[in-house]
Amino acid sequence: MNFVDQFRTAWRNLSRQKLRTSLTIFAIVIGAVSVTVMLSLVTSTKGFLVSSAEQIGMDRSIIVTGLPGLGYGSSQWNRADGSGKRIDTDSLALIEKLGNVNSASLHTNDGGFFESLTIDGFQITMKNVALEGYSPNGTVIHHMLVGDELSVNTNGSGFLISSNLASELGYKGKEKTLIGKEISLKYRTDWGPPEAKKGDEIGKIVGVTSSDGQNLLSMDLDWAVSMQTLTWSQKGPNGKTETRIESQIAKYGFGSIWIDVNDKKNVDAVMGEIKQLGYGVAAGKEEIDNQATAFTIIGAILGGIGGIALLVAAVGVINTMVMATLERTREIGIMRAVGATKKTIRRLFRVEAALLGFVGGFYGVVISFGFAFGLNQILNKQLADSSIANRNIVSISPQVALLVLLITTLIGMLAGSLPARRAANMDPVEALRYE
Amino acid sequence: MAFIQCSGLKKTYTVGGEEVKALDGVTLSIERGDFIAICGPSGSGKSTLANVVGGLDQPDEGSVVVDGIDLARAKDKALSDYRNKQIGYVFQSFNLQSHETALENVISPLTVAGVGKRAERRERGMKALERMGLSDRAKHKPTQLSGGQRQRVAIARALVNDPQLIIADEPTGNLDSSRGADVINELKRLNADGITLIIITHDTNVAAQARRIIEIKDGKISERSGAQ
Repeated sequence: MNFVDQFRTAWRNLSRQKLRTSLTIFAIVIGAVSVTVMLSLVTSTKGFLVSSAEQIGMDRSIIVTGLPGLGYGSSQWNRADGSGKRIDTDSLALIEKLGNVNSASLHTNDGGFFESLTIDGFQITMKNVALEGYSPNGTVIHHMLVGDELSVNTNGSGFLISSNLASELGYKGKEKTLIGKEISLKYRTDWGPPEAKKGDEIGKIVGVTSSDGQNLLSMDLDWAVSMQTLTWSQKGPNGKTETRIESQIAKYGFGSIWIDVNDKKNVDAVMGEIKQLGYGVAAGKEEIDNQATAFTIIGAILGGIGGIALLVAAVGVINTMVMATLERTREIGIMRAVGATKKTIRRLFRVEAALLGFVGGFYGVVISFGFAFGLNQILNKQLADSSIANRNIVSISPQVALLVLLITTLIGMLAGSLPARRAANMDPVEALRYE
Repeated sequence: MAFIQCSGLKKTYTVGGEEVKALDGVTLSIERGDFIAICGPSGSGKSTLANVVGGLDQPDEGSVVVDGIDLARAKDKALSDYRNKQIGYVFQSFNLQSHETALENVISPLTVAGVGKRAERRERGMKALERMGLSDRAKHKPTQLSGGQRQRVAIARALVNDPQLIIADEPTGNLDSSRGADVINELKRLNADGITLIIITHDTNVAAQARRIIEIKDGKISERSGAQ
């Protein structure tokens, strides 16, 4: 029997039991949709995160800290006990001299000296808000939701606030209206000696960054340094009034140095050189890899869940095909009597089962495309007001679609193998007698 | 050598824990173009003999050689090929596929064997139906046909591949006497055209029309001559 005839016969046999065929296909559709959507969702999100990270040059960035073993993004004060290497302008000069370094910036990350933050008369405590200071020379780049990055034009008095902080201030979804608004930061009253009291720090919001759950306020490095410096007058031992300056930075050094390497291929080499200087290093690409690995694991788990759905569907195919062999026992006998070999019967049932898998997979993929389209419409709406360029985040690649189609067809064929063998091995004489 | 040569055929079934000898040392020769009736009571082994000669079943012992093919030792492929090309079956209960049209049923041996293109197969099928006077029933499903018409469709299917042998197992069993006679006449016409014909029957009137009558009882055969 040639393939076209086998296909035609299989299709016809399936059409004879419309309800049963539809239910079996429905189970495969559920499995196919689960696998396709889950795999695509994870792959797309992974791709989105990686490309977003690469957009801001995270794959080329290195963070230098005074202590080894700190993760990417950890900007740690050097220990007061002297452990760790001091990070200061000398360190920066050393690093800037290294080859393949595009730019570098000293970086501070603290906020413990402020008590509260006020915007439009609304005040929140600074307990959970971190302050970040860096040179706006293009080394540190944020994902901007609205507004612009800090630049030399902000004259050292602009703030970037994270979307998380914006939400806390009651501007969720209205981030645009924050641009140009004034923020005032009130110092803690118990910070430093009473003579060194400082007035509030006031600056304008120039941009809102998309954040991963962190309340962060970013500003120019010089401003951040000045915030951490106390100046006051007091009488010295000789009775003369003298000016005292106490700077946290001068005392402990900066938190870290951020580096932008000219090419991600050179990141490892630059890291090696910095390590030799005795500093701790962490690369952005490692962070990207970690996130990508996490998503791969999530993908495998979700894909596994989809796989279970497909396995259940396979049991459905086995059930359907076993029923078919029982119902068609006499037909099998007639086919054998007119000359069908065991192989022909086996193939016929396998093609039928594979067809169930293929049709289920086909509808599953089509529905998944529809699902992805719908999900993208919702996500695009969410992203409409942001500066994030990526649209249609959830995309089903033709490879995934083809793979799912292939898998469902193969599962159908495998599930149909046992009933097919059973049909082929029927004794033709017994089969012809079957009522 | 005879067209069909059976020697020492033995076949035993176990029914309800008891052994039943369906064939007990059957030796038989059938010449090309012969018309044989195999008669006997129910359970005597006549259908088993037909099935063994027809390549649907294999004996436990002995040999059955048809046109040089040793069916007792043939593998599935060779047996299937034999059933497809050398013989045509006609059953008491017609054994037509109920979901297929008369024409589709007739061409099923050609479809199964992957013979030619679809159009060619349909043409051959139509010729076979015409020969049975059923060309106007080609698109009818078996349920839309009378018993006699169904049996003639089955005969058309049996001869679509130009077989050398037709085995008809109680072909008139489900038909009234007039339609039964029509069917026997059709089969006799085919025999007259040179096709060897084996009819399994317990109808003495049908058996009387054969040239040779083989009686089978408890798996053993005896022969008497029939119509000349």
